[in-house]
Order: sequence, then structure tokens, then C-alpha cells
Amino acid sequence: MANQRSVVQDAGLAGEQGTAVLARSRRRTLRAQLTAYGFLAPAGILVILFFFIPMLLILFLSITNLSTTNFTTDIVRMLRSDLDIDLVSFRFVTDQPAYIVGFDNFERMFRDEFAPKILFNTLFYVFCTLAFFNVGLALVISLLTTHIDRRAGFFFRALWILPRITSPAVYVLMWRRIIAAAPFGILNQFNELAGRSEVNYYQDHPWVFVILVNGFIGASFGMIIFTSAIESIPKDLLNASLVDGSSVFQRIRYVILPLLRWPLLFVVTYQTLSLLTSFEYILLLTGGGPGLYQTEVWSLTAYNRALNTYFANAQWGYGSAFAVVLVIIGVVMAIVYMRAFRFNELVAEPKIEVL
Amino acid sequence: MRIALEHLTKKFGHVVGVEDVSLDIRDGEFVAFLGPSGCGKTTTLLMVAGIYRPTAGIIRFGDRVMNQVAPKDRNIGMVFQSYALYPHMTVFGNIAYPLKLKKVPKQEQIARVQAVADKMGIGDLLDRRPGQLSGGQQQRVALGRALVKQPDVLLFDEPLSNLDARLRLVMRAEIKHLQKELGITSIYVTHDQVEAMTMADRIAVIQNGRLQAFDTPDDLYDRPKTLFIAGFVGNPPMNFVDVEIEQANGAYYAVSPALRVEVPPDRGAAAAAHGGRVVMGIRPEDITIDPTGAVRGRVFVVEPLGRDDLLDVELDAHTRLHVLADPKLKVGAGDPVLLKLDTQKVQFFDAATERSLLWQ
Amino acid sequence: MATATPQHEPYMGSPADDLAFERISTGELVFQAVYSALVTVMLLEIGVIVFRVLEPLVHHAPALFGSGATIDETFTRTIGNALMTLAPFLAYAVAGHKMKPLASVNRARALGAALAAAAIVFVLVTMGQYVFRIGPFAERPSLEMTLRQTDAGILVEEVVSGGTADRAGIRPGDRITAIRRVEVTLAELNTAVRQSKVGDVIRLRVERGDEEEQFPVEVAATMEIRPAALVAGLVIALLFAAVAVFWPGGWTPYALLIAIMLPLAVGYLWLIIATFSFRTEGLLPVNAQGEVGGLTLRNWEFLWREATGSNPSIWRVTLNTLVIATAMMAIVLLVSSMAGYALSRMNFPGRRTFLSLTLILHGFPAVTLLIAIFFVLRNIGNIPVLGDYFGFNTRGGIALVMVAFELPLGVWLMKGFFDGIPWDIERSALIDGASRWRTFYEILLPQIRPGLLALGIFAFISGWGAYLIPQTYSIGTKTATLAVYINQLTSDTAPVNWNEIAAVGLFQMLPVFLLFIFAQEYLLNIYAGGTKGSS
Repeated sequence: MANQRSVVQDAGLAGEQGTAVLARSRRRTLRAQLTAYGFLAPAGILVILFFFIPMLLILFLSITNLSTTNFTTDIVRMLRSDLDIDLVSFRFVTDQPAYIVGFDNFERMFRDEFAPKILFNTLFYVFCTLAFFNVGLALVISLLTTHIDRRAGFFFRALWILPRITSPAVYVLMWRRIIAAAPFGILNQFNELAGRSEVNYYQDHPWVFVILVNGFIGASFGMIIFTSAIESIPKDLLNASLVDGSSVFQRIRYVILPLLRWPLLFVVTYQTLSLLTSFEYILLLTGGGPGLYQTEVWSLTAYNRALNTYFANAQWGYGSAFAVVLVIIGVVMAIVYMRAFRFNELVAEPKIEVL
Repeated sequence: MRIALEHLTKKFGHVVGVEDVSLDIRDGEFVAFLGPSGCGKTTTLLMVAGIYRPTAGIIRFGDRVMNQVAPKDRNIGMVFQSYALYPHMTVFGNIAYPLKLKKVPKQEQIARVQAVADKMGIGDLLDRRPGQLSGGQQQRVALGRALVKQPDVLLFDEPLSNLDARLRLVMRAEIKHLQKELGITSIYVTHDQVEAMTMADRIAVIQNGRLQAFDTPDDLYDRPKTLFIAGFVGNPPMNFVDVEIEQANGAYYAVSPALRVEVPPDRGAAAAAHGGRVVMGIRPEDITIDPTGAVRGRVFVVEPLGRDDLLDVELDAHTRLHVLADPKLKVGAGDPVLLKLDTQKVQFFDAATERSLLWQ
Repeated sequence: MATATPQHEPYMGSPADDLAFERISTGELVFQAVYSALVTVMLLEIGVIVFRVLEPLVHHAPALFGSGATIDETFTRTIGNALMTLAPFLAYAVAGHKMKPLASVNRARALGAALAAAAIVFVLVTMGQYVFRIGPFAERPSLEMTLRQTDAGILVEEVVSGGTADRAGIRPGDRITAIRRVEVTLAELNTAVRQSKVGDVIRLRVERGDEEEQFPVEVAATMEIRPAALVAGLVIALLFAAVAVFWPGGWTPYALLIAIMLPLAVGYLWLIIATFSFRTEGLLPVNAQGEVGGLTLRNWEFLWREATGSNPSIWRVTLNTLVIATAMMAIVLLVSSMAGYALSRMNFPGRRTFLSLTLILHGFPAVTLLIAIFFVLRNIGNIPVLGDYFGFNTRGGIALVMVAFELPLGVWLMKGFFDGIPWDIERSALIDGASRWRTFYEILLPQIRPGLLALGIFAFISGWGAYLIPQTYSIGTKTATLAVYINQLTSDTAPVNWNEIAAVGLFQMLPVFLLFIFAQEYLLNIYAGGTKGSS
């Protein structure tokens, strides 16, 4: 505003006219900002409701002992539940609501004898799926499909999207049938034809299938990113390397791969996060089995503890502690991810200043 | 509509876009903002349009202060370099859009659009889309859209720079004719000095966000007030030589290690009054190759321009002159030549302040 | 064939190169081919060794995490084994491939040289396998006796003298009936042996004449050489080399693509067969008697089945899914394009903060918040009126959560698309007299139609397939979405008809698959916009 005043003074506008200009200027600035916030409001409200409040809430829940037996959604009541009297109605509270237990849940989590195993499972699962499928296989598919007839490429990529759009229950059913015992299993039918004895794949190789099942879905994300990145490489560049007499492999090695650095980084960070937190298919495929916590991952534990109604006693508090670990990892990685994307280049000033 | 800019300043953060520009544009006048790209001329124009808000200073249309008036309430028409046609609308839709926003009745819209389109010679293209038009036709649509609302002010932002050279000539004449016919106050931003010189009533030369000069084309050409203007206006650009003025027998001579020429007494006197080293400016068309010439040089490069050859003549290690020569002379690179300098229109500048010693 | 090389085919050498090959002696050619084949094997074996080294790491690393952590991992071993199995075949192919340039001038000579090279490589590889006891020479757990399935149990036909069965006291003519007390067939016994480790003891119940006795037999490791397998290996080697000589280079990507798709292809083939079958065994449709046949349409009856009790009609569920997906698409498009516009084109206090938050959320895994969102929904449910539409277990609430989860991607994407529109168009609209709102929906939205289409398809697909959120935030309703409906079918208390579930699954998948096929080019846009600034 000081700026505006100097404008007026500079121009020698004094008295009533100057004041009027100033007032109008303030009104207009305000209105421009209100318009901007109007555009942002719907997204803002949803993000606050379903991202920020939950983030705070999960921190809070993780320090309570909330479970099915003492369930309440009344946060205020949880906050002062050390009192016996409900201050609002001045009645004695007969049932014992959940209350804050401090860091008991975290302590319990760290002492959980299966926690190290689950943690290691998670790392193993994320690493293998990411390396072999979400990045490795995705890169192979996109390189192959961009080096064949364009329409054929589209066709193959369309097939790879199938796992992503198949209902999870059906997709998992399909895989279960592939590895099932004779006479139903497809692999075992081939084994029979080849004169080999039957293999109990589910018991013997649960991880192979957890990784395959997730990997065949995950590959399509990287595939689409890499494909669009490869397609956007200027044709001149490829022609130049053709003129230089490079072979296909040299072209991939020296022209295409270096240009895929950023998409690669994007896929790695983004997919690490989503693998870290996805448990849908493991839940349906093995439910963490077949042995005790054999294929259980961290996010599945959080879900099972807190929300899975299959176990009659849902422990929201304890489950939240598991989730908090993921939230923290998520926020930290997302910030790293933001840095990696040269944020400052993306916030160039708008070139229109009116309302 | 009279337009006045008073101490207009625009800063983007700490970067100064436009600084302290003051102009007075008369009603019906055609003014060109001329300057190299990035000099702030488009920023100034966008402030007049209301797209940018001035950091300081006042914009007036007539007597009314426009600083806080929204673009739509300024009643201006604007033509952009990229034409900025709405690609999803037909030509009719594009031209009618300002009327539609003003809620002009449908019948009147049709009549007015048709009238403008006919005037622009695109009356039969009304149901095409911009993508189906040539560059020149798109330009006419953009012009039609700016004119249809009968604006008080017309703004042009390098409207011809995307056209090919031939079409540019045609459109130049048309825009000038149209502006004179309608008498709408116009501001025309360009980096092409030929455009500015041929079209504008007055030219505002802007450099580094500052107003360098605001004059008629003739004044800018013959009476440049700064070294920058002298060098910027005119093509091929003026030659500059560091000289000292000597006075002998009532005559004045400009002397440098490479040359010694007599200059008109009035101009020589003004330069001599300054004393010491001055910068002499002389236009290439005032230099001729002549066996009787007094300045000796060697041709460095020959650039055939068609009607003339542009010679780059080396006098000594520090001095080169651009010379326009008749192609019939068939001068080649490396040839020794004698030059004759017509010093009637010679200019003198202070080497330090770069201000003219002749015109203030 | 090298004259008109299509653009996508690998550079195969010019005719001049081919003629140069003609002049080299066959012996030298074969030597070169064998050399490159062996290099290939070595490289792949190095890969195997890496996985072999990884394996103990995977096994023992958990110790670092605490005593409870062990991992019974077979994944790295599986990959190592696959590499090891693959290596020789690749080597034969490489040997054949080396003859390609020659093949274009002299087919017969090229084929001969390739076969010779492959044969030499085969001998070398087989020797290597013998030395390292791998491949066909690998030692496997065995009881060192020959068995045959008879009606009266498993007949011992021969016993290797001095072998483990011999030492345990088993004689030819004995009949094995059970392991401990569990009766077994030959196949089950073989499985048991194969799954055991060397040194384990299997207690066989044996009938000898009329007596029954238990013999503890220690599992031994034996190398079993089958000449037939070796011959088959050689034939395959020659076949690979021969194919490689004449294999058109342009086919390789197709072959690879088909090879890596095989698991999916088999799976979806089964899915389709299953929906038309009474039952399936492997990939074969089977009728009630267990014979091949039994094709039926009864799995598709759900299409015209009336709603009964807790089972809603499929069309109602489909309609519901369609409504949810469409509504979600519309809301996501509107909300994210508005926010994207403001972030891209407007200046206001807090813009930077908003932008960085969007970007952080773009990478943030929303699933971790499921538990907390449950509480948010429960608390919204407590608000009068509003809670009835947007609380826990309401369609509105579920839709809002799903929309919110799509927003970070959507806003970011839309901002990217708005960034791409020239400023002059918007300035022009403002000068023409449009307000910011009007500019937004009349001028700018039509410009980003590809982006809207891409995001719309994306949102629709994720709404159509939504499973986790409706499943988590609604209680015991089959009407939510098709995906939830399918999931509920699988947990029915009545016997589950899996083939019908497969049919419903196919029914649910089909429209989206078609949508994707038609829209793939737009979907490629989405990621171009989404990762903008990254490349």
C-alpha cells in the first residue's frame, strides 16, 4: 500500500482524488485475491479435510489406546478422558472411553517381535518389485514398443494396462489359478504334461508371486511415462545418430537412456512411495501368509491392526502408530521428490496482474 | 482520446522493467514504441492495456486516471504478435466475442461483425476457424476483433513480425491507412525501425526501460539527441568515429588518425565549443567512393543488398566505415578505395554523456 | 536384405561387409562365433553369481534387524536359476546370430558354420555343467531306488546297491504304502523327496510279504544322468543356432514382448475360458464328470438375474459404478482445473506455499491416511444434515475421499497444461471485456481439452475400479461399485462360484479396456503434463 501512496504522491494527485484512487486500488487488490481463493477453495477444502486433518489426526490417534472395546469418534472426549465426569452433561461416564497413552504404542511397536521381520519384508518387497518390474520391466517394454510398428506398440501397451484395470479380486483370482495345485493350476498342468511332479508354488515361493502380481501391475505406470518421454525425444536427434551409423543398442545407450534420467528419477521416487504404502494385492493374495508374517509388509500391518474388520478387535491406536511411520517416510520422501523437481523453476510469476 | 503517461515505473521484484516514462499522446495520434527486444516497450503497452499494474506513476486516458480501471472498462482494442485468436471459435466468434461480452443484441452483432470483416477483406471467411487461415488472414481477424468494439485506443504489440516480408509491406500500409481513416489514438510496439519510421506520427525510443527520445521520425533521423538514437535509427546504422575538431582559416576539420575531413562551420563550431575528443557520426549513404576522395581505405567485406552494395571499409586498425556503393563499381574485398565524405549532415556527440552536441 | 533396411530394424551391415565375411575362412568364423557365445555365457554366469551372493545376504541380513527377522526367500534364487537356465540357449542364439551377415550371401555355408559353432558351444557348456554339477548334472535329493505305482502301493523295482535305500534295508519287491502313517502315491512320495533336504530322514512304511515295517531312509544327493536329456539339449542348441541365422531382426522385439507377456496372456486366456466353462482344470474347460468339455453360459446368467435379497441386480451395481465414476470424473475435472488455473495464472499471497504443498501431496501416499480419514468421515457424519450425505458409509463421503485422492495429481497436471497456454490469448480475452471466470471457462478450458480428456479418463478409470475406499468406508453393501460387488461375492457364505466371479470381472473390465484403447494417446499426454519441468 505504501507503494500505492507513493504513486499517488509522485503523480501529484492530492486531496480527494488521491484518496479515491487509493481506496479503489485496495478494493481491487482484495477482489483479485478473493477471486484467486475462490478458484482454489474447492480443492483447498478437500485437501484440508482429507490430507491435513488426517495427517494431524493420525499423529493423535497413535498416542491413544483407541480400539473396538473403547471406541469413540469424539476427539474432545478423548482429550480429557482422564476425568470421570462428562463436563457437558454433568453425568458420570459409565463406559471407559479411549484415552491418551503417550508413546506406549510406539514402544509396543518397537518391542513387537515381528516388527523387524515386517520391516525387512517391506524393504525386500519394495526393492525387488521396483528394480525388476516397476522400473526394469517398464523400461524394457517402453523401449521395445517404441522400436516396433507404432500401432503394434499401442496394442502391446494396451495389453499391459489390463492388470491395472482388472478388479483386484479377479486379478488375484487369476494368479491363484495359475499357481494352484493340480488339477486346477495352470503351471501344474504344464508340469504334468512335461512329466514333472507337482509343485506347491504358493507354499514354496510366496514372495515370487507377491512380487510378480504387484510387478505386473506396477510396470504399466513406468511404461507410460517412459514411452511418452521416448516419444518426445526430437526426431532430429535420433536421425542424427542414424546418420552417424549407430546400431539400435548404441542409440538406446547413448541417446535415449541419458534423456530418460528425469523420468527415471520420477518413476523411482513416485513408485517407491506407492509400493511402500500399497498392500491391496498382498492382502488379497496372501494376507501376509502363508507362514506367520511371511509376506506381511508394514502398510498391511497398519491396515490389519486398525481397519480390517476380520479381526474382531480393531486397534486403531496401535495401527496408527504403524501408519505414522509410513506418513513420516512419505513426507520426507515427498520433500526430497519436490527438491528433485527443481521446484523454483515451476513457480514463475504469473504474467497478468489484473483481476 | 488523449493518453498521458506520467512517471510510469514497473518493477518485477527487483528487476526494473520500465522506469520513469512520461509521454503525452495526442488524440488520434499514431505513436510507435521502438526499441530492442526486452527494453520494456511491451511492458509499457501492457500497463496501458491494464494487464500489468504500474509500480508507480499514472496512466490517464483524457483526464481520467486509469491505473485502477480493469482492462475491460478501458475500451481498448489490442492486436498481439501471436494474433491470440481463440482457436476453438470461428472467425465470426472471434470478432463477435467483445460484442457478446458487452451483451450487444445478436442482430447488431452480426451486422457489426460483417461490416468490420468486409472492411478487412475477410467477409467470406467468417465460418472458418483460425487454424484454417493464413498468417495474413489471421492478422486481419485480430485487427477486426480489435476494431469491432469501436475502441478509444488501439494497441499493437509487434503485430507484423510473424508475417513474411511482402505481406508485412501490405499490412503496414493498410494499418496506417485504417488508423488515419478511423482517427483512433494508437500505440504501436515494434523493434523494426522501418515500421516505426514509416507508420508513426511520433516515435518513442525506449532503451533499458527508459525513454530515450520522443519525436517525429524526421527529427529522430536528422536530429538525433543521443548516440543511442543515432545508432539505432537508420539502416544500415550510422558510422561513429572518435575525432578531434581542428580550426584553421575559419574552417573546421574533424581529425582522427585515419581521416581528416572538413565539416560545416555551424556544426563544427558547436563541436569545437565542447572541445577535446568528440564522437562524429556519419551515415553510410553520405559516404561515396570517389577517385577525388581524401580518405584512403581498404574494402574488408562486401554485402550485396541489391540496389546497393554495403561495403565495410577499413581505414586503420581501429576505424571501419560502412559505405553504400553502386554495385556497378564492382568493388571486391581487399580493393583499395578512396572515400568522399559528405559532411552536410554530420553529427557530433559527447563521448562521455553520449548526448548530441548539436541538438538539445 | 540389407539394402532396404527399414528404420526400426537394427543396423545389419552393408553388402560390402557381407562380402568381407565371404572371404573369411569358415574355421575362423566358427571360432569367432564360439568366442562370442562363450562371452555371453560368462556374462550371464556373472549375473548368476551376483544373485548367488545376494541370496545369503537376503538370508542373513534380517539378523541385523533383530532375532525375529528371517526371510524364507526364493525370489533371488528363482531369478538366478532362470538366468542360469537361459544362458546356454542365449549362447546358441548368439552363435547363430554371428553368421547373419554371411547368410545374406551364402545361406548354406552360414547355416553349416552356425551349427558347427553351436555344437562346439554345447560340448563346452555341457562339460562346464558336469564340472560344476549344475544343469542336467545337478545333484538332487533322492532315495536311490526305482519305483513304480501299482494298485497295491508303490513297488520297489530296483535298489542301487550301497545306496541309501539299500543301507536302510529296503529290498526290491517291497511295497511302500505310506510315509509314517500317511498313505502316499508315487507322485506324493516324489514331492516329499524333492522338498526334503539332503540328510533328512523319511520314514517309509513298507509291506514286505504280509509284514509291515517302518524303514527310516536318509535322503541322499545323487546325480542322475539321462542321455535322452543330453540329446534333446543338443537338438535344441542346433535349432536355436539355425533359427538365429535366419531370424529377421525386426521380429526380436515382438518375440521379446510376447515372451514377457506370457504370464499375463495365460492368465487372461484362463479368465476368458473360465467364464464359459462349468469348471476348469488348468486351461481346459471340464464338465461335472471331470471330462474335457462342459462349456456353458451359466456364468453369465448374472446379467439377467433379478435382484434377490442381499444380491442386487448387476445392472443396478453397474449403474451405481457408472454414476460414481462419472461424478468423480466431473468433480475431479472441475476442482482440479479451477485450482490449476489459479496456481498457474493468478498472483495471490500464499501462492508459493500452495504450489509446494500440491507438489508434496503429488508424491505423498494417501493410503497411509485411511485410518485417520475414517475418523474424519465419522465426525462429518455427526454434523446434522450434511452428515447424512457426506459422512461415513454414505456415497457422498466415499466420492469426496476418492476425489481428494485424485486431486494432487489432477491439480498438478492441470497447472502444467495451463502453463502451456500463451499469455496473449488470456490477455486478449481480458481486453475484450471478459472477467477472469469467463476467460477461464470460455477461452482457456477449450484450449486444454487434451489435458481434460486425459485427466477425465484417468479419473473415470480409477472411479470405475475403485475398491479399497468404498470397501473400507462402507459397511456390508454390495451396491457400492462393481469391484466391491466382486469382492463381496468372493466372501459369500454360500459356495463361491469362481467362474461367475471371473465373468463379472471380465464384464467390469471390458468397458474400461475399450476406453483405454481409444484413449491411449491422450493418456500419454497426461504423463507428459504430469512430469512437466522434469525433463
